Amino acid sequence: MRAAEVATVTTLVAVDPVRAFDVFTSEIGQWWKSAPRYRFHPEKSGTMRFEPGVGGRLVEVHDAKTGAGFEVGRVLVWEPGARLVFEFRGRDFAPGERTEVEVRFEAEGQGTRLTLEHRGWDTIRPGHAARHGHTGQAFGDMIGLWWADLLVAIRARVAR
Amino acid sequence: MSAGALDRTLAALADPTRRRAVDLLRQRPRRPGELAEALRVSPPVISRHLRVLRNHGLVAEEHGDPRDSRLRVYRLRREPFINLRAWLDQVEAFWAGQLSAFKAHAERTRRGKRP
Repeated sequence: MRAAEVATVTTLVAVDPVRAFDVFTSEIGQWWKSAPRYRFHPEKSGTMRFEPGVGGRLVEVHDAKTGAGFEVGRVLVWEPGARLVFEFRGRDFAPGERTEVEVRFEAEGQGTRLTLEHRGWDTIRPGHAARHGHTGQAFGDMIGLWWADLLVAIRARVAR
Repeated sequence: MSAGALDRTLAALADPTRRRAVDLLRQRPRRPGELAEALRVSPPVISRHLRVLRNHGLVAEEHGDPRDSRLRVYRLRREPFINLRAWLDQVEAFWAGQLSAFKAHAERTRRGKRP
């Protein structure tokens, strides 16, 4: 049975698992959608970057020279061609609050079945910030706004 | 959906025993004694967890027989799970968008390498 608090998304991509893992991690800066409304930082634009290996950081880099930016989370599992687990924090998360993203890469036909699970929403406890609906809300807003944009884009395409 | 209601649902689910109780209650309503046995916890412990779930609006208490408190049964309320699902739908929509961008990029660069 599917757990109550896990978001799951899957896609089939026409490259092998090793290449898929490589694109997902080392080329994240080239494919991650980072239009202004979906950024981790309210004003600064940036490029996503994975530091390879367990303990490496996923960072939205705001200053290409210094590498400074927002740390989305740390890599927890790094198995090239098979499995990737990393922490995922929104900008208003309190210290210690984190959600977790697991990505599995499995060979299917000539390509790769990629399954992404985003879990741990229950660890965001309503502490001092969340009590006012703050914690998780920035990420919720980000997602909500993104969703609204997606609908607009779909409507625009249908209208054509 | 209010953020407060979602916070409350997630807070109630933050405990592993309560998550397992919720999983059991998704199958059908159950008596506290049944839950205690299945989860291998004492009756006072299951009472405490059920109280949290009830206070957070995740379960409702029903009386099989009002004269006998041992016949109380707990059932899941639908509403908080609909809210949670709506939230997860948004999270999934976010990732579906990112993954379609990933897929497009991966397949575009592959074609570039092998024309």
